[in-house]
Amino acid sequence: MKAPDVKYFEHIPVEPNRNLILARLGYRKGITAISEKDNMFIDAAVKRALLLCNARGAFCRSKINKRSANKVVLENGIELISEKLSAFLYHSSEVVFMSSTLGREISDTITGAMNNGNASSGLVFDAVASQVVDTALDWMMSFINKTIKIKGKALTKRRFSPGYGDLNLYHQKVIYDILDLKRIDISITEKFMLEPEKSVIAIAGIEVSYE
Amino acid sequence: MNKDSFRQMVEGKIVLLDGATGTELHKRGIPKEACPEQWVLEHPDVLREIQSEYIAAGADIILACTFGGNRIKLKEFGLQDRVLEFNRELARISKETAGAKCLVAGDLAPTGQFVEPFGDVKFNDIVDVYKEQVQGLLEGGVDLFVIETMIDLQETRAAVLAVKETCDLPVIASMTFDTSAKTLTESDPVTVLITLQSLGADAVGANCSTGPKDMLKVVELMMPYAKVPIMVKPNAGLPKLVDGCTVFDMEPAEFGQYAVDFVAKGAGLIGGCCGTTPQHIKRAKENIAGLKPVGREPKPYRALTSSRRTVFFGETYPVTVVGERINPTGKKKLSEELRNGKYTEVRRLAAEQVENGAEILDVNVGMPGIDEKKTMVEVVKLLSNVVECPLCLDSSSPDVLEAALRIYPGRALINSISAEKSKIQRMLPIARKYGAMFILLPLNDEGVPEQARERYEIIQNIISEAKKYDFENSDIVVDGLVMSVSSNQNAAEETLKVIRWCAGTLGCATIAGLSNVSFGLPERGYINSAFLAMGIGNGLSMAIANPSSEMIMGIKAASDVLTARDKNSLTYIGRYSDGSVEKPKKVEPKNNLKTVDKINQSILEGDRENIVDLIKEALAEGAKPGTIIDGYMIPAITRVGHLYEERKYFLPQLIQSAEAMKTAFDYLAPFLAGDRESSGKNSPVIVLATVKGDIHDIGKNIVGLMLRNNGFTVHDLGKNVSAERIISESRDLKAQIIGLSALLTTTMVEMRTVVELARSEGLDVKFMIGGAVVNDSYAREIGADGYAKDAYEAVKLAKKLTGQE
Repeated sequence: MKAPDVKYFEHIPVEPNRNLILARLGYRKGITAISEKDNMFIDAAVKRALLLCNARGAFCRSKINKRSANKVVLENGIELISEKLSAFLYHSSEVVFMSSTLGREISDTITGAMNNGNASSGLVFDAVASQVVDTALDWMMSFINKTIKIKGKALTKRRFSPGYGDLNLYHQKVIYDILDLKRIDISITEKFMLEPEKSVIAIAGIEVSYE
Repeated sequence: MNKDSFRQMVEGKIVLLDGATGTELHKRGIPKEACPEQWVLEHPDVLREIQSEYIAAGADIILACTFGGNRIKLKEFGLQDRVLEFNRELARISKETAGAKCLVAGDLAPTGQFVEPFGDVKFNDIVDVYKEQVQGLLEGGVDLFVIETMIDLQETRAAVLAVKETCDLPVIASMTFDTSAKTLTESDPVTVLITLQSLGADAVGANCSTGPKDMLKVVELMMPYAKVPIMVKPNAGLPKLVDGCTVFDMEPAEFGQYAVDFVAKGAGLIGGCCGTTPQHIKRAKENIAGLKPVGREPKPYRALTSSRRTVFFGETYPVTVVGERINPTGKKKLSEELRNGKYTEVRRLAAEQVENGAEILDVNVGMPGIDEKKTMVEVVKLLSNVVECPLCLDSSSPDVLEAALRIYPGRALINSISAEKSKIQRMLPIARKYGAMFILLPLNDEGVPEQARERYEIIQNIISEAKKYDFENSDIVVDGLVMSVSSNQNAAEETLKVIRWCAGTLGCATIAGLSNVSFGLPERGYINSAFLAMGIGNGLSMAIANPSSEMIMGIKAASDVLTARDKNSLTYIGRYSDGSVEKPKKVEPKNNLKTVDKINQSILEGDRENIVDLIKEALAEGAKPGTIIDGYMIPAITRVGHLYEERKYFLPQLIQSAEAMKTAFDYLAPFLAGDRESSGKNSPVIVLATVKGDIHDIGKNIVGLMLRNNGFTVHDLGKNVSAERIISESRDLKAQIIGLSALLTTTMVEMRTVVELARSEGLDVKFMIGGAVVNDSYAREIGADGYAKDAYEAVKLAKKLTGQE
């Protein structure tokens, strides 16, 4: 079985969208009123959180050998069991496994803020971190898209993660092993949770580009 | 071929390179999955045929078929131990085919790995990978090197250094750019050009990428600054997918027309990449027959680069501020972090300085008890990733500077090189090798001369020495060397004379560290700012300063207007037209309210900073603690809840109000005994826990905070808590409710275990659950008494379950 060629990014340049951070915190445009003081508080917390997020990532590609209604079989024999994922990859010839992580410092800071009576800051830190880790995946998808564009291909617009729909969370461990995520200091628990907390795994497909 | 003969060749004519080799190999039957290098060695006549066709079409340079001939790429086929052999033999075949008719270039291309600081592969490891390939190609007799199709500037630097450290042959470095004229790792053409030509590339260019049309833009952008020839090797148009295969369908005639356009724009070397054929090259040859290279007349420039940005500075540019804050001297927190290998403060200082207007960051990590070289390299790697501005590498140690320059993915500024013998002899060759600019410090082994005229002599000596290494005046920034006016009141004037003389007579850029001038005096900011203005008046190009100083940045902005460096005053107007300077902070008017109403207002606004003072004031005015709580605080937090329900407040506001409430409660608690009607009542006890196996608990923590503020006694057992412990503690604490949280499908099943254990042990307790993957129906399914989607709903549910609503 050929070992997957995994690429690692030591730093992913991300500038998360402020509106999406606010949306994670329940902000509704045109309804929620934010005072100047609140704005200053949020800006300071966002700035502080961004300093603590070091987005790293990993990805690799794997050819799809066979796809049935509820199963996707990859070139290295790995099986992904899920009807929803199989449908999602209907037009794809390959899958891309991706992961991004922000490191321990931001998670520790969120916990520290929550435990030290500063929950409002902790909440904003948490929202920033969630947005950054997501934006890091967006950045990785854009990066991969640029590399495959010359071959007339493109990634699926959306991505899929273990735990979505009927894709059992144990696939998190499968992808964790494929990407060898301990190289970017991610560990996985026996319940398939990633640590540090702000770490994610995702799957996208490679399709023919119609653009 | 040596570098001089290469230069003469390119200056004398338009040099034609070959077109695609891969496309031609596929036409001739190379299997899709084959290793091209191996297959070609097994079918050498195929390569001979292709290369002969390119030579016949008019190519002056053909590339050895070694695109994937590095150890990392060959490893994909298990052939990593045949690097020398493959490269030697492929070069030899190409040389035999070329004979005296054309030159053969060793072809180096991406390894497919991501190099530090962007990726995790060590920079020196990649240099070694290329060196091995270069060695094989040299053994095969190549005349020069073409580094092509590069996507990352740092990996390109590694390849250029590998060639430079192995031989003296000419090297062309070419990257791929997308339609927005950026490489995959976001470098623009000017940054690529300046970085690589400074590093010693003999030509720089673009290949593959887009079709010829978009590549014209890249040439246009590079040409004004090109001290070396520009090479282009575009694809035959944009890729199209036909029957599962990528095809490039631009015809030779159209491609040939673009060759003329490239010559007109200034490209001196022209070839083809994916999809091009001998016919494309032949057509290009026919079309450019008789055309001469457009003479390059690069603008004299002073520029530093990071991997993603070029900063120009000097006479016509606004004064450039070099942020001085990343320096542990006098900074306890930064010193501690650097000593412990932590870099959060470095990131903060970098972000703050960039935000405040620094265009270059000075990096100095020298202090006792630290491995300066290791720390400098780590900080340079970090900053290369987190900020876009170029760096000024500041150390007195040549070893530290060399290590930092090697890893820095751009053109850095060295701070500094003086006439001290041990420094100048070591540092000039290092600066030259890595293409860095340097700050010239006019001092020698005897110290700093007081008089300007003595400094002139040292400056001239250093420049004269630097010219032996091909430095030009535009590569040098002279430090006026500011001494304190408190010990010598003529010190400032002597420095100004140096600045004036360098800017005028020498034509060198100048820099000054401002803060020395005021040492020993009070209100140093005035002295520093006045000195900056005087320096700018005398031609100062750069200032090492703290960009957080509004006075410094304001004087700089104003001076840029007055010296016409800020064209049409646009930057100044942009900076100040909104009146953003020293705008007084808006104070929330609470003064017309009674103190107890101000308490109510503070809860509504989440103002926990002032609430205790207000409570003290209210108590002093005679208000009873119970009245403050029941009459003003509870209504306020209830109102906050309604505002949250209506989405007029969002989560941070809800929680800030809860925090203000908690602060107030904590202060009032000792006063409550015997005062408040409800104080004697036992508040309902709730045990909260994130279930076994789950480590995500931010939501549960927020629920706890909200419940406490609504009169519940909350015992939070934390995360990853076993069912046995939850039940045991709940029994001991006489809990009325157990609140369970879980984030994932794999852990939510543990909730059922807890509920079942409680029931089996006959524990009389209600269950409420929450978390991303659970819902009402799951709550019913496992026998829980309710589900809450957020903290506010959790409070309502808890009240309902305890009969309070």
